[in-house]
Amino acid sequence: MNCGLPFLLPVILALAPAAALAADPATEAEDFAVPQAGRVFTFPRDHGSHPDFRLEWWYVTGHLAAVADPGRRFGFQATFFRQAAPRPHATEPAGAFGRDQLFLAHMALLDVRSGAFRHEERLHREGWAAGAATTTLDVRNGDWSLRLRPGAGPGEPERLDLRGGIRAEVALRLSFESRKPLVVFGEDGVSRKGAEPTAASHYLTFTRLATTGVLRLAGPEGPEEVAVTGEAWLDHEFSSSQLGSGQVGWDWLSVHLRDGREVMLYRLRRADGSADPASRLTWIDAAGRTSVQPFTWEIQRLWRSAATDAAYPTRVRVRTTDPASGAEVILDVEPLAEDQELTGALGGIPYWEGACRIKGADGAELGRGYLELTGHARPLRL
Amino acid sequence: MSGARPVLALLLARFTLRHARLAPRQTAALVAIVALGVAVFLAIRLANRAAVASFSHFTEALAGRSDWVLQPPAGTLPETVLAELQSALAEHPAQLLPVVETTATPPAPADSAPGFGRPAYTVLGLDLIALANLAAAGGPGARLLDGAEPSTDGRGRDAAEFWNRFRAGPQAWVSPDLAPPPGQPVFLELLIHERTHRLPVAGVIPAAAGGVSPPPGLIVVDLPELQRLTGRPGQLDRVEVILAAGPRRAARQAEVGALLTRLAGAGPRWEVTTPGARRETAAEMTRAFRYNLTVLSLLALLVGLYLIFQALDGAVVRRRAETAVLRSLGVEEAVIRRAWLIEAGTLGAAGGILGVALGWAGAQVAVRAVGQTVNALYYATSVSSARPDAADLLLGLALGLGASVIAGWGPARAAARIPPAQALARHAPPSEGGWSREPRIGLGLLAGAGACATLPPVPLAGGGAFPLGGHAAALLGIFGAGLLAGPVLGGLARLARAGGQVHAAARIALGHLARPSGRHRLAAAALLAATAMTAGMAILVGSFEHTVEDWIRRTLRADLYLSSAGAQSASTRNRITPETWRALAAHPAVEAAAIVAAYPVRIGGVATTVSGTDLSLLRRRADLPWLIAPRDETPFDAARNVGLALVSESFAARFRVAPGDPVRLPTPAGTRTLTVAGVFTDYGNERGSLLVERAHLAAWFGDEQAASVSLFLRPGADPSGVRAELLRSHSGLGIYTNGALREEILRIFRHTFAVTHALEVIGIAVAVAGLALTLTSVLLDRREELTTLRALGFTPGELALATALEGAGLALVATIAGLSVSLGLGWLLIHVINRQSFGWTLGFVVPWGQLAWLAAGIVAAGALASYALGRWGARLPADAHE
Repeated sequence: MNCGLPFLLPVILALAPAAALAADPATEAEDFAVPQAGRVFTFPRDHGSHPDFRLEWWYVTGHLAAVADPGRRFGFQATFFRQAAPRPHATEPAGAFGRDQLFLAHMALLDVRSGAFRHEERLHREGWAAGAATTTLDVRNGDWSLRLRPGAGPGEPERLDLRGGIRAEVALRLSFESRKPLVVFGEDGVSRKGAEPTAASHYLTFTRLATTGVLRLAGPEGPEEVAVTGEAWLDHEFSSSQLGSGQVGWDWLSVHLRDGREVMLYRLRRADGSADPASRLTWIDAAGRTSVQPFTWEIQRLWRSAATDAAYPTRVRVRTTDPASGAEVILDVEPLAEDQELTGALGGIPYWEGACRIKGADGAELGRGYLELTGHARPLRL
Repeated sequence: MSGARPVLALLLARFTLRHARLAPRQTAALVAIVALGVAVFLAIRLANRAAVASFSHFTEALAGRSDWVLQPPAGTLPETVLAELQSALAEHPAQLLPVVETTATPPAPADSAPGFGRPAYTVLGLDLIALANLAAAGGPGARLLDGAEPSTDGRGRDAAEFWNRFRAGPQAWVSPDLAPPPGQPVFLELLIHERTHRLPVAGVIPAAAGGVSPPPGLIVVDLPELQRLTGRPGQLDRVEVILAAGPRRAARQAEVGALLTRLAGAGPRWEVTTPGARRETAAEMTRAFRYNLTVLSLLALLVGLYLIFQALDGAVVRRRAETAVLRSLGVEEAVIRRAWLIEAGTLGAAGGILGVALGWAGAQVAVRAVGQTVNALYYATSVSSARPDAADLLLGLALGLGASVIAGWGPARAAARIPPAQALARHAPPSEGGWSREPRIGLGLLAGAGACATLPPVPLAGGGAFPLGGHAAALLGIFGAGLLAGPVLGGLARLARAGGQVHAAARIALGHLARPSGRHRLAAAALLAATAMTAGMAILVGSFEHTVEDWIRRTLRADLYLSSAGAQSASTRNRITPETWRALAAHPAVEAAAIVAAYPVRIGGVATTVSGTDLSLLRRRADLPWLIAPRDETPFDAARNVGLALVSESFAARFRVAPGDPVRLPTPAGTRTLTVAGVFTDYGNERGSLLVERAHLAAWFGDEQAASVSLFLRPGADPSGVRAELLRSHSGLGIYTNGALREEILRIFRHTFAVTHALEVIGIAVAVAGLALTLTSVLLDRREELTTLRALGFTPGELALATALEGAGLALVATIAGLSVSLGLGWLLIHVINRQSFGWTLGFVVPWGQLAWLAAGIVAAGALASYALGRWGARLPADAHE
């Protein structure tokens, strides 16, 4: 589910002791909408913001290679979160300094060759500095933005434009075009996260976005412009409660297989490390059809962060069934760099979100992916 | 020379040190004089610096140093510039920090009389959420919402709690000095504009990374809350720009600066400055004021210099015999000179060290006085202490040492040159310092003073000016007159002696004064200088006060004056809302109401004020004191005066404009070119002001708030009664009756001269001490003569009387001469120094009564000190040492 983080002022969330989780009230979604089965999505409206839900995020991850030097590879992440204050909200427009919604954003870039991992976080209130349109995908945070641009003419594909950066060190200007139809995860439009009726989301994804653009990398002698191409994944998820009771975090994986299919899994973790039954692995075939399959999750290696002392399972073996052949498949997840931790300086919620290669049982590379590991430093509460 | 070193050591031990041991009080007095001179200078230096340093760029404590500050030349910036700036900066990663700033005061106790001077806080409106980004980026940004409630255990807070707090309405984060003591109710009462707001104290502003603690008196409120509290929704006072971290910062800063300047357009919509430049502006504002204080403090050191010279000279004379013996024994001139210089240097160093300590202590007093003046006239400052740094300590030492060595140079040379044979005669004439007796030199210096007085001022950056020529003239004049003091003293004494029969004691006194020794001349010169300075300042202050009183009498004609009770300093941003002033104007007892609007503006980068009022009402109701009156009635007719402005004298001087000249006034509605129609006198501040019709100003600034309101009551209405009634319905207003406002203005006025007076008193004290020192030396010199007189039948009382008369006579002559000089000095202060520094024309009024008291005081102090010394001297045994 590529769930982002609670993008509250993190300290608040992150410090919530596990004991408080047990008392997590099912009324948390009170006065907020709860995902409804059978919801009819309309676009581009439903790419936009849904302020009647408490939480929402747009989450882009992907792999890039320099056009001039395909061996020079990058992994990137650009995430825009929205969180609403408890109801009631003001009836008049937010103005320049609103108080009903907060917007958090994360940007990260991995330079695979050097292993350098840069990231930055932003927090703004709704207003001049941040916001999200309710008519289409147009979300911004400071000078970062993700916007849907209609096709130039009839029949022309619509595109997504990402403007982002990391301090004055990296500027990202990427443009995405979907190669496959939009996927709506879950049953009847609802992606369930726990036993409570409210623990669910609407989960919309462009699983394979052809990506072109430019990275501007600052150096002591001036900026270096690197034209890049690659493939990306966009999750758009909105809900009013992301975790069921007793859950302390989740692990999430997206995989671009070389055969044109994708795999997405989320594993909702309980305090004892076991998986919640609401955990799911979904295959997406070349036509965009989904198939949910059972899976197992074996941790191969833990990487301990010097910054947060959290231990992340950065090498994992996933066993599942290929719906096409019915055969068991092994997906070995190997990070392109160990340290791809976002330390949560602003949000206070450290998590690991990194570019990976995916290998089969025989060691052959099956594809690329992005792995997200949350709640390993402290329990989450969403 | 190989033997010089041991000889010098021997000399210092047996000759110099012995004298210091034998006359500890005299040595102590010398050290004290040096110390006082150094202390006065240092105290003023520290106080000045503290007052300037206290101008804080307050956001720094929370957000670190901004790269650029965008400030509108007039009024406020609309919030819409934020989005515009953001998109303009698309290729230059930077965080924009919008700022709303205001001043606030604690509410006055219900029964208090109106008055200025309650503490003024600076309230910053910052986006509390965005602030966290700076901290996250590794900057010093303070995360107020996080660290807010230290009382909770820091755990167990959850999202709901965060939202509750974030949305709880206005709340204040305060500097540690405003933090409520534990157990006290955590509310802060703040008077903003005319309303009292009770804000919960949400937390204490933490020190930024790097240990920069928040400046005292700082309050932070979430930006939109402060917009609401100040009635300025959608308005910003400035926007700060903080570049993202990364390489090429300096180059990026320059690029962004150029881009922002371009974006501001012609007009411009905002000025692009840096926090450093803002501080510099504050320093510029007060520079003339501070320079003048520094010069005054240097004069005190100068008087001290006279005295050290005199004391060392006296010591040389007293030790002639010993010196002659040494010379006879073959001690070289150079060694003797060195021994004297070392003595002078040691005194100076000791005085310097003591002076630094005294200056430090003095600065704690001076800093409040300087701070209050700066607060009343320039900008809000909460300065309360001053601390010397290493440079100050060295400077103090160097001043003490330098002054002593300079003053000791002449006496040391004289001592070294004493011919052995002459020196053995005990009553040989003391060293006379040839040139200093020459009246022509004194006259020459006075002529030089006259020439300097005509020099133009030195322009200061930021629009001020420093009257260097004027100060030089004052210095030369005092020096010159000092040199003439001796001849005048001798002449007058001879005249008095020739005048006929006088008492025996008087004859003795006149005999001494008729042939004044070098020491007499120096004492007279020092006293003259101190008297002249004090009396000169008294003339300036007297003239100023008289002028201001006259101006108040002519301009303050209304019955009641109202402003926000939060208006406590020159920089106040507190205003009266249109609803309130309309209600006031409609009060049945009110016949007419003059609404005054005022905005700080920057014209060509120079800060000044534009005010607006109903000019026809002003014309009818007040007697505006014109320097250059308008040619006709057009400026007073709202229908015809839209392009006209009346300017204050200081404004005309600073911006070099005269009637008919254009002034380009920046306003939020664009630049307006106005024609100067007249120049009026105004003593409010030296930054000057521009006066236009209020209706036009309100349109340009899109604002109807009033800075103050003057009410003219109907005949028969009782101002005190109306005041009490209005206070009941508008508790946030400060209301003065006409008489109370006059008193308050004069009180502030006198307050600003408090430091000056203190410096004068110190000068006089040093001079009187110098007189006593002189007489001590003189009496020691004359101990054989005294023995003879006693043998002749003079009683100790008569001898004491003779000394008292000698001292009183000297004091009298020096004081009278000093008063004469003070007339010239007063003229210089009023027409040159003050005019050039502040641009104010003052009438010349001599406060005779005050001067008479001053003279009487100095003469009496001199006589008393002399009498006491005389009694001591009368009993001196013939062979007494120092």
